[in-house]
Amino acid sequence: MMTISEITKAIASGEKSAEQITREALKVIAQKNPEINAFVEVFEQEAISCARAIDAKRSRGEKLGPLAGVPVAIKDNILYKGHKATCCSKMLENYVASYTSTVVEKLLAADAVIIGRTNMDEFAMGSSNQTSAWGLVRNPVDTERVPGGSSGGSAAAVAAGMVPLALGTDTGGSVRQPASFCGVVGVKPGYGRISRYGVIAFASSADQVGVLTSNVYDAALALEVLSGKDEHDSTSLPAAVPEYTHQFTQDLKGLKVGLPKGFLDGLYEDIKARIVAAAEELRKLGADVREVDVPLAKYSAPCYYIITSAEASSNLGRYDGIRYGYSAQNADGLENYYEDSRALFGLEVKKRIIIGTYALTSKRYEECFLKALKVRELIRRDFNKVFEQVDVLLTPTSPSTAFRIGAHRDNPLSLYLADLYTCPGNIGGLAGISVPFGLDKKGLPVGVQFYGPILQEEKILNVAHLLEQCI
Amino acid sequence: MEITKKDVELAGKLAKMRVSPEESAIYESQLKALFNWVQELSAINTDEVELSDAQLSAFIRPDVPVRDEEQAAELRHTFASEEADCAKVKKVL
Repeated sequence: MMTISEITKAIASGEKSAEQITREALKVIAQKNPEINAFVEVFEQEAISCARAIDAKRSRGEKLGPLAGVPVAIKDNILYKGHKATCCSKMLENYVASYTSTVVEKLLAADAVIIGRTNMDEFAMGSSNQTSAWGLVRNPVDTERVPGGSSGGSAAAVAAGMVPLALGTDTGGSVRQPASFCGVVGVKPGYGRISRYGVIAFASSADQVGVLTSNVYDAALALEVLSGKDEHDSTSLPAAVPEYTHQFTQDLKGLKVGLPKGFLDGLYEDIKARIVAAAEELRKLGADVREVDVPLAKYSAPCYYIITSAEASSNLGRYDGIRYGYSAQNADGLENYYEDSRALFGLEVKKRIIIGTYALTSKRYEECFLKALKVRELIRRDFNKVFEQVDVLLTPTSPSTAFRIGAHRDNPLSLYLADLYTCPGNIGGLAGISVPFGLDKKGLPVGVQFYGPILQEEKILNVAHLLEQCI
Repeated sequence: MEITKKDVELAGKLAKMRVSPEESAIYESQLKALFNWVQELSAINTDEVELSDAQLSAFIRPDVPVRDEEQAAELRHTFASEEADCAKVKKVL
């Protein structure tokens, strides 16, 4: 698959038409999706019509948008009016969006071609894409392994060359961890950078739309289109969006990179080696790489599981068969009606709702939920302090490379540790990027992660862009 | 942090979800492990942390109703009929 910049250039010059590009993407999807299962629906005819409209626009001499003719996949929790959005849950099997999310509006305004919906962990709860009601996704790098999650379908679609750009959502690492497992680039901008309007909520204080691409330049192009204040989302930030691709530099002279103390302790040797090698490359590029202390970051994961589960228990309360979701038939009484309707949630979703509901009971509210909120505040202060000393942080994206399908089944808590290095970004509201940086001994991709302060995505994009040239 | 089967059943009831005895046993052991991990947070001194209203709520926009005539017309169109300015919906129970 061509990159975004290659596609837009080829279409602008007339070397290729948008229809040709779209048909090529559809062909790859038809060939590979039966095995990979990255897409849960492909909008074939609609995508071709959309591509033809873009070609007609070009032939009339009209100005084309910045993503003209680029096939884009959207995660199955992002609304596109008139299309299903199921969160890969039987609960929303027949839900059709009644309005379009801001991110899809922006893609359409940029002349992108929305090509289909991608598979995901049910309601974005998972790190392996094994909880989808529509079947698991296989990692294109090794189909016996998971692609990561929850945006596993989006990452696999880019890695398999089906599309050059896919949207995901990231609540605890759901864009960056699958990007790392599949060997692609995944960016989660800082909280508030991209509108969440029309994105089905999991945990509202941590959810963020992100992008998956084959290279950093493309990710920067996509972020230029998607970022910005949205009057429909009160948490979106009123800040100007830089032209990220114009901020790229030739070296990293003057850039301070922090390596958080303790983050490499006990880490799988192959990943540790890649982080050390990345630090060395950054030094060669002129960066000042130093160890920094973020003492409370290690508490991000337990904080994350309490806060996001509590928010999920509230957000998913609307799926009661009356307001939204599957409506049980022939239930005996209101209580049974609710319980029968909500029986369609999968096991992981039910578990998170139970965790969250329990953490919000009067017995546990102060000890669990309120405590986690206060610790989150302290973690944020830690990050604010560290970003007074350095510009970006370098960390692993995940403690492991892609694991085998079915692994961790008997110990789900061990699966929660897959988010160890990514959930601090959501707890802190930071900008984060995972960029592929070599392979482990098994030949599986290793991602390294950069964190930057909120509204400073250009810093992490620039350092990741230079690092990817070192491979 | 002590978690019992009763706690799991209570949380299930509050969440309007039926939890089978088998599920309850699975959730009980997994919740025990998770909440033991969460217990680590108790070691952190948070006495000086004051949370603002905004931090206690993810939704900070004032709740002002806005009538969207186009959407209203579209919604009315989806109902089979109206009566006394109310839409008639499918019987639920």
